[in-house]
Amino acid sequence: MEAALAVEGVTKRYGAFTAVDDLSFTLGAGKILGFLGPNGAGKTTTVRMILGLVAPTAGRVKVLGESDPARVRDRIGFLPEERGLYRRMTPVRAIAFLASLKGLSTAEGRRRARELLAENGLGDFADKPIKSLSKGMAQKVQILSTLAHRPELVILDEPFSGLDPANQQALEDLIRGIAARGATVIFSTHVMQHAERLCDQVLLMARGRKVFDGTVDAARASAPRTLLLEGRFDASAMADLPGIVDVTSELLEPDGVRVSAALERGAPAQDALREAFARGLDIRRFELREPHLHDAFLVLTGGVPE
Amino acid sequence: MIRLLRIARREYLAYIRTPGFWLSLLLLPVGISTIFFAPMAVSRATPTPRIAILDFTGKHLKPQVVAAVNPPGAPPQAVIVPDPPRPFADPIDARTRLQPYLRGQRLLPGGGRLDAAAIIRPAGAGVAVDFWSRDIAASDLAQTVSGAVGDAIRRDRLRALGINPTTLAQVESLAPTVSLYSPKAATGKVELKDRLPTLAGLAMGVLLLMVVLTGAGMLLNSVMEEKTSRIIEVLLSSASVPEIMGGKIIGVAAVTGTILAFWMSIAAVIIAVRSPETAGDLVGVFLEHGHWAYFALYFIGGYLMFATLYVTIGAFCETSREAQTLLGPMMIIMTMPAVFMTQGASHPDAPLLRVLTWIPLFTPFMMAARIASDPPLWEIASTSALMFAVTALELWVAVPAFKAGALATGRFDVRLFFSTLARRRAS
Repeated sequence: MEAALAVEGVTKRYGAFTAVDDLSFTLGAGKILGFLGPNGAGKTTTVRMILGLVAPTAGRVKVLGESDPARVRDRIGFLPEERGLYRRMTPVRAIAFLASLKGLSTAEGRRRARELLAENGLGDFADKPIKSLSKGMAQKVQILSTLAHRPELVILDEPFSGLDPANQQALEDLIRGIAARGATVIFSTHVMQHAERLCDQVLLMARGRKVFDGTVDAARASAPRTLLLEGRFDASAMADLPGIVDVTSELLEPDGVRVSAALERGAPAQDALREAFARGLDIRRFELREPHLHDAFLVLTGGVPE
Repeated sequence: MIRLLRIARREYLAYIRTPGFWLSLLLLPVGISTIFFAPMAVSRATPTPRIAILDFTGKHLKPQVVAAVNPPGAPPQAVIVPDPPRPFADPIDARTRLQPYLRGQRLLPGGGRLDAAAIIRPAGAGVAVDFWSRDIAASDLAQTVSGAVGDAIRRDRLRALGINPTTLAQVESLAPTVSLYSPKAATGKVELKDRLPTLAGLAMGVLLLMVVLTGAGMLLNSVMEEKTSRIIEVLLSSASVPEIMGGKIIGVAAVTGTILAFWMSIAAVIIAVRSPETAGDLVGVFLEHGHWAYFALYFIGGYLMFATLYVTIGAFCETSREAQTLLGPMMIIMTMPAVFMTQGASHPDAPLLRVLTWIPLFTPFMMAARIASDPPLWEIASTSALMFAVTALELWVAVPAFKAGALATGRFDVRLFFSTLARRRAS
């Protein structure tokens, strides 16, 4: 099956500044890709190249089987970051207008707009001006406006920002629904939990370069597992336990210490625990923590601040 | 093409649904009606002034002044009131005694207040008129009185020189019959019909200027709103730049076209009702000389040239303050044709105006104003070709510039703006 998106050796330079440097990745149809990276990593430039808004300096992008994204723009839905809508328009008219630019007739666009708004709890606001809607509602309307023409590839730039927890959950369900009907979804986010819960594939970028491309599990595997220990013992005694590569500690009230010990890749936690008990350390609680995507992000991007 | 039309439709509907559109639609007819009817209404609502005329010259000038103020067969300019109670020792005494009446402290014997007083008195060998009025700004009545007194004393002097009244009346009625002729007039003799092309050309130039000024503001705001809200990125991912720019330019043209069509329909109805002959002549001006084609040409060229410029500027601005910095120089440029267009109508072949016609930014306005004088065909063709060539070049540069501006963030970047233009030229 042909990839929905193939980026091959893409570089984008603005004068002496390289925004994206030799980026390659592919994304299968019906998959959800989380596009992660600190600010200035090159995510927006990459998205613009995928959409055909800017041309790569080198390399090529193939979207839905076409090397010219302009030819498939009707099959793509795009939600930009820091978004807004025509404030004086009603949700139905705004969605229908944007859908009409994607090839739908105005009548069909309005029918689908009403359908989508009703499905997402905005049926009562369908004919009210957008300026009278709450910020969360307006954002929802804009997200729906990217979906009315039933695109095969949906690109959402920071779709969760500004949404309350309930609406974030609703958006997660919506994204799963898009993928479930066979469409491919790319979204960028700073909130790793969303990517962790939703993505089949994550792409991490830093300073214009790709630092990771793979599954969420593979990304998490790049960060060390951590052994958490609490008790009354000398934290420095943990450093030379088998498989331990890094130790951080904090004092607990009224007495005791909490130690966070990073395990070497592949090292079994039992060896370190067994040795600790053998040494008679007063351990009252222990826990093995698998790494989260956030940990992987910090490791893979070298702790580049966002 | 269908995307272009859909963007144009949205743009059009977005504007006609605003109160501002309806205000613009009604503003000119209401404004013109006000200019025409307000003075009449004010005049009707204002009571006719009451004036006292005191003649101290002993030359019986008062009857002639009364006849001038209240001419037979015309509305009276003032009501002549009987003189306030006499005796007045002299003009100074009269002035002193009239003050309480003019200040409203006293009423005239028959009731009512005194609004003005003309004290006609000897002054050396001649006559002087002291005109007193409650209203400092009122000068019409004073001019009528002084004119009547002047005529009267000139007649007296001529009579004293032995000219009999019949001869005097004949002399006063002498005036030449003046007729204007021009080889450009249809019958040789210049009539309103012959002046209509000039007036129509000037009107078309002014209309184009209005369309450009109102349309430019709309385009600039529309693009700025879409850039600020990032809708422009969604549009760019859905349509090509020419479709977006074209849709906006056509949509706003339709808005201004609707307003103009409404205004012109009202004007046409008024002209047709008041003067059907002039309406027929006006239609003839547009059809017979092919002026409609020239006007259409200059409208399209002029509007496209300025609209493209303003759309592109809008793509680089996120706030109205940024836009204002760029609009300032543009407004100065736009006032130049407004100044020279009237000259173009009265002195169409003046060398300076002919030079200005060759500046593409001014071509549509200057040629519209000059077209009635039938400039040489080579001049029309060459200036039009230059105007469209510059517009084409502008569009060629504007397409990538619009995209670069729309995708740029932050405040207006002069370097980005010009580097984008330079890159396009280099490519």
